[in-house]
Amino acid sequence: MAYEIVVLTNMAIAVLFALSLNVITGFCGQVSLGHAAFLGIGAYTSAMLSKEGVPLIITFIPAMGMAALIGLIVGVASLRVRHDFLAITTMGVVFLFTGIVRKQEILGGEIGIAGIPAPDFGRVGLFATSLLCVLAYLLLTIWIRRSWTGFAFDSIAEDEDTARLLGINVPKFKLFAFVVGTAGAGLAGALYAHQVRFIGPDSFGFVESISVLAMVIVGGIGSIWGVILAAAFLSALPQFFQVIDDYKLLVYGLLLFGAMRFAPEGIDGLLKKIVRRRAVK
Amino acid sequence: MLFFDLCIQGVIQGAIYALIALGLTLVYGLLRILHVAHAALFTLGGYIGVIVTNGSGSFLLALFTSMLIVAVVGMSSYTIIYKPLLNRAPLISLIASIGIFIASEELFRIFFGAYGLSYINPPLQGQIEILSGVSLSHARILVVVLAIGLLSGVGWLAINTRVGIAARATVIDPQMAASSGINVEIIRYGSFFIGSAFAGAAGVMVSLLNNLVEPTMGAVPSYKALAIIVLGGLGNVRGALVASLALGIIESFGTIYVGHLLDRDSIAFAFLIMVLMVRPQGLLARG
Amino acid sequence: MIAKRLQIKNVSVKFGGLSALEDVSFEVDDNQLIGFIGPNGAGKTTLMRVIMGMVNPLSGSVLLNGRNITNLTSVQRIHAGVALGQQIVKPLRQMSLLDNVALASGGKKLLSPMRALLVQKRHKERELARELLIQVGLGDHSEKLPSELPLGYLKRLEVARALALRPSLLLLDEPLAGLSKPEAEQMADLIYNLPRVGLSVILIEHNLPQVQRICPILYVQSNGRQLAFGLTKDVMADPAVRQAYLGVGA
Repeated sequence: MAYEIVVLTNMAIAVLFALSLNVITGFCGQVSLGHAAFLGIGAYTSAMLSKEGVPLIITFIPAMGMAALIGLIVGVASLRVRHDFLAITTMGVVFLFTGIVRKQEILGGEIGIAGIPAPDFGRVGLFATSLLCVLAYLLLTIWIRRSWTGFAFDSIAEDEDTARLLGINVPKFKLFAFVVGTAGAGLAGALYAHQVRFIGPDSFGFVESISVLAMVIVGGIGSIWGVILAAAFLSALPQFFQVIDDYKLLVYGLLLFGAMRFAPEGIDGLLKKIVRRRAVK
Repeated sequence: MLFFDLCIQGVIQGAIYALIALGLTLVYGLLRILHVAHAALFTLGGYIGVIVTNGSGSFLLALFTSMLIVAVVGMSSYTIIYKPLLNRAPLISLIASIGIFIASEELFRIFFGAYGLSYINPPLQGQIEILSGVSLSHARILVVVLAIGLLSGVGWLAINTRVGIAARATVIDPQMAASSGINVEIIRYGSFFIGSAFAGAAGVMVSLLNNLVEPTMGAVPSYKALAIIVLGGLGNVRGALVASLALGIIESFGTIYVGHLLDRDSIAFAFLIMVLMVRPQGLLARG
Repeated sequence: MIAKRLQIKNVSVKFGGLSALEDVSFEVDDNQLIGFIGPNGAGKTTLMRVIMGMVNPLSGSVLLNGRNITNLTSVQRIHAGVALGQQIVKPLRQMSLLDNVALASGGKKLLSPMRALLVQKRHKERELARELLIQVGLGDHSEKLPSELPLGYLKRLEVARALALRPSLLLLDEPLAGLSKPEAEQMADLIYNLPRVGLSVILIEHNLPQVQRICPILYVQSNGRQLAFGLTKDVMADPAVRQAYLGVGA
């Protein structure tokens, strides 16, 4: 049972993390290849505070706040660049993050931070907390999607010059997406730090950023339910692959390629296609 | 002498970056795709270089074989990965490309082992004193000579041949080129051929400098070369070459002077972000 | 003195040393329809972009209803009452025509994501959008996606979307280009009627017969300079205009 709880908690954290990127990349159309940096900021903030004796739940607030603050700064910088330039800039952010952490003694340097205290409420409690966080964030994103903010995001994601001509204050909306998205990643980071109880710079690198982007794209860019399914599935994948452990990354890589090649619209697109076919019959 | 040493190291690193970045920037210019799998070709080049040298004893043969095989594999990567996705959003090809890159690292590990391969008798290890107190191995000199030779060869082709002129026109404006009768498809295959061959050559040279090839040796070049072509102004070949050299030198000085604050890889990105904040379109704009 | 709807005062623009607009001044009255003509490269679109805030003038000022808007961003100008219908139509292809127009009529909500977050309802904007689509003759197609419709319809969508911004000054950049003759005629009629609902319109257009038919006033520009400005029949009789624009020897 303990093992299943660990797997389920991992899935919940991955779903939260993916939903947070979905706000930036899915809703607002701003590609980020560096989202794991914000997972890391949340994780480090929460881990260091809880080692000082601050209860986990309380650390959520500074973890989100710190991630959102840096997210805002990155967002402001990102306003200057577009499309592929933006993608590579955000990729730079994750390398800067790991590069800086590696060289800071206070942050544990290369070795990272070990001995993060287990939450008082135990493994099941952590799972329940993670689930509640996912639920809360999910409701927030559904609300955003349905509000005029989501309506404006749709236009920015498609063509920001046109969005501007419709009177939309594009920079403000982009920054809003960055703040909400990076805060979500910070929260996921706080949970993650207490789930694994050991964090180092390698846990928040480029590969992790790509993995979460893959979840969003395999799910279907912008689709909340597709992203949840994809995140749950892709994060649990390594567990299914225990048998073929040696070929894990090979299968993962080919799966990503296959998904893009044969179902570029993601799970969301596949489901819609099936529904449409049913309807025709 | 430290200053001079760092400059030389920077130039050598810059030459390697330039060989890798050329293919990447050509592909971007033609297809608007960030070709991450390019770095797998670089690794493949390294493996072929070591294996052929160890088998035949001839480094030159290894270099040519490697460039040729990698070029052909590179062309097929266009057919397999990108061609079917040309009408999709660029993000789709990017993820597909990353998928292939991840899978390829694993393939190298499965085929050649996790610990990498080395040269039995590393060639070109003789030293030449180029200034009093500064000597370089033949291998290091060859890197620079090879990069200058190959890149100026391509430069000559681009300026003096019909195909080269057509290729340049296509990189600048693919639609215009297609409508003026240029066979864009041939240009694409040609660019993949040349760009991949150069990446293969870079792989061989790096394998020689480190006397090691390992499955993950493409990881660093894969993202750093992306930074370089962005720095150079996406799709701008000259810009990419300038950026390669600049980055090589900045890294070699940076590791000495700011190494206690940032590791080597993040110096490149710190530089990238600083440049983009001042010039969002890169060092040299498109053209 | 009563403020004019639009005043352009001594505006000059240079692109890399080349003069695109030289000391241009003119005025638009309330509820006026002005035809804006001139040969290709005369700087008409540049002037349009200056009014929209997409190009910063080297010198000179732009006043809307007496308010100096020279230093406002495009988005601020839109909310101050200027709207642009672009020559190359740019519908949002992922949403229906109705949503394209409804989004544009979101008003102040579009200025702040926090404010937009508080509002979930869209029916009021949809209602207005439906009326506008009917006004431009797209009433039957409101639920369709832009990709399902030909250019002529998308040109009208562009106008409807600009109207949804509830501007006091509407700029239209070649709304008739690419339309068939009956379509162009229909569109011209539509534009002709806009001033009656309290709008001033600047119409950039190459289709001279239609411009002469519907515009009481013409402004002619050539090589970045004002060539003529006045009643249509006077301007068309001006030898300088005939020479420069029509290529007819004076």
